[in-house]
Amino acid sequence: MFITRKNLHRRTFLKGVGAAIALPMLDAMTPAMTAQAKAPVRLAFVYVPNGVVNIDWWKPKGTGKDYEFTRLLKPLESLREDFFVLSGLDDKNGNALGDGPGDHGRAGASFLSGVHCKKTSGADILGGVSADQVAAQLVGSKTRFASLELGCEDSRTVGNCDSGYSCAYTNSISWRTPTTPNPPEVNPRLVFERLFGTADLSLSPEIRARRAGYRKSILDLVQSDTKKLVTNLGANDKRKIDEYLYAIREIELRIAAAEKDNRQITPGIEKPAGIPITFVEYSKLMCDLQLMAFQTDLTRISTLMFAREGSMRVYPELGISDPHHPLTHHRNTPEWIEKVAQINTFHVKLFAEYLQKLKDTKDGDGSLLDHSMIVYGAGISDGNKHNHEDLPILLAGRGDGSLKPGRHIAYTPGKPMTNLYLSLLDGLGARPEKIGDSTGKLDYLTGLQA
Amino acid sequence: MSKKNLLRVLIICCPLLGLALMPPTNLAQKSQPAISFEQAVLPVLTDYCVACHNEKKPSGGLNLTTFKTAASVLEHRDTWERIQQKIQSGEMPPKGAPKPEAAEIKAVTKFIEAEFERADQNTKPDPGRITARRLNRAEYNNTVRDLLGVDINPAEDFPQDDSGYGFDNIGDVLSISPVLMEKYLTAAEKVARTAVYGAPVMKPSVVELRGQGRKNAPSFTPLRDYDATGLSLPNALHVTFRFPVEGEYSFKLHLNGQRPPGSAAVKFALWVDGKQMQALDLDPEGRASFSENKQDFDSNTLDFRAKVPAGEHWVAASILNLYDGLPPSFQGQNPSQKPEPPLPVFKLREGVSAEINERRKKLFDEKLKEKAPVNTVRVSRVDIGGPYNQLLGATLASRKKIYTCGHTDGHHQAECATKIIGNLARRAYRRSVTAEEITPLTNLVALVQKKGDSFEEGICLSIQALLVSPHFLFRLEQERPVTGTASNEIGYPINQYELASRLSYFLWSSMPDEELMRAAEKGTLRKPVVLQAQVQRMLKDEKSRALVENFGGQWLELRKLESAKPDKDKFPEFDEYLKMSIRRETEMFFEGIVREDRSIVDFLDGKYSYLNERLAKLYNLPDVKGPEFRKVSLAGNAQRGGILTQASILTVSSYTTRTSPVLRGKWILDNILNAPPPPPPPGVANLDEGKVGTSASLRQQLEEHRKNSTCASCHARMDPLGFGLEKFDAIGAWRTMDGKFPVDDTGTLPDGRSFNGPDELKTILKADRDAFAQCLTEKLLTYGLGRGLERYDKPTVKKIAVNVAASNYRFSSLVLEIVNSLPFQMRRGSLKNYELAPAKIAEARTK
Repeated sequence: MFITRKNLHRRTFLKGVGAAIALPMLDAMTPAMTAQAKAPVRLAFVYVPNGVVNIDWWKPKGTGKDYEFTRLLKPLESLREDFFVLSGLDDKNGNALGDGPGDHGRAGASFLSGVHCKKTSGADILGGVSADQVAAQLVGSKTRFASLELGCEDSRTVGNCDSGYSCAYTNSISWRTPTTPNPPEVNPRLVFERLFGTADLSLSPEIRARRAGYRKSILDLVQSDTKKLVTNLGANDKRKIDEYLYAIREIELRIAAAEKDNRQITPGIEKPAGIPITFVEYSKLMCDLQLMAFQTDLTRISTLMFAREGSMRVYPELGISDPHHPLTHHRNTPEWIEKVAQINTFHVKLFAEYLQKLKDTKDGDGSLLDHSMIVYGAGISDGNKHNHEDLPILLAGRGDGSLKPGRHIAYTPGKPMTNLYLSLLDGLGARPEKIGDSTGKLDYLTGLQA
Repeated sequence: MSKKNLLRVLIICCPLLGLALMPPTNLAQKSQPAISFEQAVLPVLTDYCVACHNEKKPSGGLNLTTFKTAASVLEHRDTWERIQQKIQSGEMPPKGAPKPEAAEIKAVTKFIEAEFERADQNTKPDPGRITARRLNRAEYNNTVRDLLGVDINPAEDFPQDDSGYGFDNIGDVLSISPVLMEKYLTAAEKVARTAVYGAPVMKPSVVELRGQGRKNAPSFTPLRDYDATGLSLPNALHVTFRFPVEGEYSFKLHLNGQRPPGSAAVKFALWVDGKQMQALDLDPEGRASFSENKQDFDSNTLDFRAKVPAGEHWVAASILNLYDGLPPSFQGQNPSQKPEPPLPVFKLREGVSAEINERRKKLFDEKLKEKAPVNTVRVSRVDIGGPYNQLLGATLASRKKIYTCGHTDGHHQAECATKIIGNLARRAYRRSVTAEEITPLTNLVALVQKKGDSFEEGICLSIQALLVSPHFLFRLEQERPVTGTASNEIGYPINQYELASRLSYFLWSSMPDEELMRAAEKGTLRKPVVLQAQVQRMLKDEKSRALVENFGGQWLELRKLESAKPDKDKFPEFDEYLKMSIRRETEMFFEGIVREDRSIVDFLDGKYSYLNERLAKLYNLPDVKGPEFRKVSLAGNAQRGGILTQASILTVSSYTTRTSPVLRGKWILDNILNAPPPPPPPGVANLDEGKVGTSASLRQQLEEHRKNSTCASCHARMDPLGFGLEKFDAIGAWRTMDGKFPVDDTGTLPDGRSFNGPDELKTILKADRDAFAQCLTEKLLTYGLGRGLERYDKPTVKKIAVNVAASNYRFSSLVLEIVNSLPFQMRRGSLKNYELAPAKIAEARTK
């Protein structure tokens, strides 16, 4: 096949148009929320791996408003009016059901989907659509990003990660279709660039404006220079210089178009360099990014995995150099039990700090936390026993009035986790008939009883 | 296959022959050579060829009945070149058909050659025209490095450069798009700010890198003779990483694997570019794990720290003295001093049935009996964090290159701007610059200062302007009006600055240095002694590595190694370290030829190479220890010697799962003999991969393939060459068996010469060294000029190849001949004709 010159021009042109969105030197343009609009409701899921050390160290004594704080929940004490403790919820599909070992793989896959996944470490993975994606498919088109998946550890979707279960199951709680996991983005820089573009926002607006002016002077200069050059060139050289001039003019047009559009938002933090060195910084940064994505209404639905299910992370900040997962199989060794308890409490503390930030962030007629519904929990209850009943679950925020937090609700045993999701999606305006193994909505969240 | 289909295949298979269908028109009379066409050629065609190549049956699209006179030879030169090549190599007439006598063949080829030569002598010499070349990515990186002392590879973010004629520096093919322009603007800002203010302050961050390392096959007894550095063992980790700035970095190693209980601490070492930076001990005894009676390293981590200069570096982590430090019962070297820990005791679990506890106890006892392997500890991942203690501020190198006003710090006077920018512009544009060109740039400095920014900020902005100027981004050569009479005008010499640029981009992929610029300024560069001295100086310079990387990387297809992924199951030993090592070998081999000015025949059969322990192991050569490369003599070695037996070449010319004599044969035809075969016709069945090595040997299968006469015409030449290398597997290791079949590496070329094994194959290639010299000349000339070669370049190529042979094939003589050649020194004058047609450009892209 012969490609003619004409086609080449067109290809070059298309290449240019295709990349028109990526403008590293311009500030990102995003539709800013108009102040008078009613604040939307946001939905987030924060996942922690390997269950908890002992569900009785987690579950408060007493129900209703006057429950007693347990050791693992202690960091949340100052926020008691802003969240629920929900006990008695099950992820039954995390159980073997005849498939043998692999509770971590199954827990990750079924936590948000309520579906028992296929045992495979190959490409034939099969799970279920997760609650966040059910919501994203129903109401996600209202924002630029239907949903945002974040993680602080490994996002591989291939290989064997737990007793013959694919890494897709342990590493992604969000599933777009039964065969397509949404692997979390683990690099904060890439999350930031996806949300806010690649401009250098660390500079003050004045400096940015001045430099933009300078750039224009450069473009003017090289253009006039080049035009003089064209008169004294052979046909082939001239064609090359024409390409050059065309490219310069294209960029000027884009700059002009961008200048007309002054709807821009500034994220509250500077662009991350990459993955921070310590886990504390890392997880906080990911929380911040989720918060900012909500605040700027770039998305209303998000998942965040503090670590992948079955995580082997070590916690040097706690003086723990043993990996998390083997610690949870503690063989009743007191020191190991203590270390797991510390890790569990540490995660809760990070979550408490995140909630406090959401509470401190103004949003419409209240705070961001007021307009959010944030589920925190694990698909495994006791990390040593690998059981999937009576999971450690928290629910924070007021869902714009649809939730009345500040209570411990103990459900009668056997309630599927997915019933909770069905209720929450209601508050978002998404009303699927069923999610995985759901049997109906969850009672008492609006405060009728308990 | 029906006859009709066969014909279709033939036409597609040999597109060049298709041109021959046009009848000759002009029968202009020319002086005849001693023996006539009618005597030497026509009888052979009639007796041996026309039966298959006639009007009714134009096999391969070739109808020879129309070629009745000597004039047709020049009128259809492309076709005749092909005919001559096919007859000379013995590919035609095909096997089984009656063949002419050797003397008859000689007479035919001699006649055709004489016709070509006569035509070439009568052709007006033509230097051709090189289209303005945009700097490609490598050239851009090197040029900003040499212009401003900024070595940050900004072009890494640019889109891939298109290539033509096998190289990515071809002026006609290198285009510029708005996307690329945008990247240029961004890069200019980044480069200029780094030059003036130093690298931007970077917040430390982590990058997780997984190696391709594997576990050692579990062993329960210690070895005594093994690589004590651990670098060449499978359990080491090797990665390449680009460190953004000079500074300190942290390296968190993630470990796994097991050791027997009571073993001494394991010593892990961190290496950067083959140098050991730090070694740390780790003893995991007592840490949480799933194994109760083994030392378990799974998910343990170890933190290293090292100072690293900016740029790409090879980072490795290994275990030192892997088989030392075991409990005394293993009877290994330097046994552990620790007492063996007591056996773990079974604990009953409360709240479960006795039955369950019994089952647990049974499992526990079974596990207790499992012994721990001694060698499975490995490094699976490294998290590189940093930079810490980053060096801030502009480097002295950058300041020296910018502030040429007499002082490198502060207090710059207004007139300094003209001096500084004038000098930078001269170097950026690689020629003298006029005041009119400098003024707009100094105006930028004034503009910036008027807005309240500093002098430095102004210099920074004018550097940005320089870096996006077409005079910087393109290598533009001056157009000169044609003087003299058009008939004898062959062109004009390019000016001395242009010559300096052609030289430096040819040999360094970068701008001319001050010495070249001065010679150009003084107008002495073209003096033969000066030019020769400059070329020799440039080849000896460190920067000539660019010639190896860019020319060598494309000519020898070494760049393909980056994406080479030999099948993990079939070639588990092919890891990152081996991949780096095999590439380095060939690069160093090429570098050696350049720096030591050796004969280019060394490429075919140099009896030495450059090896480290890892590669020596692949080649089965003892006594090469450690990660450093060193020159190793291969005298008397019947397996190795020359690039054809180097693992890099053998790997890029193989499939991921097996060798391919076809690919290797094609590689030799393409890159050594410059006789590329036409592309395969569509619809030809592939080899049954499942069968190779199981029910039929590869050779048997290919022979089956060659029974098809369509395929035979090209494969008769390709396959035997490849078979000569069959005793090297798909990653270049020596073998004698392929599956259950012994490997047969004999072959017979269509011209009747036969060989047994690689050494004899190389003897044949060495006998054809002039064909190789001509091939390398064409490749290097294409690269050096940045344009495809045309028919009018043929005399130049021929002359260079002859002169190189006369100079004992020295590498520098090849470069000098190219530098002194007509197309390198001159430029065709006409503005009108001769411009490359669009179709030609498209063709170049597909080549």
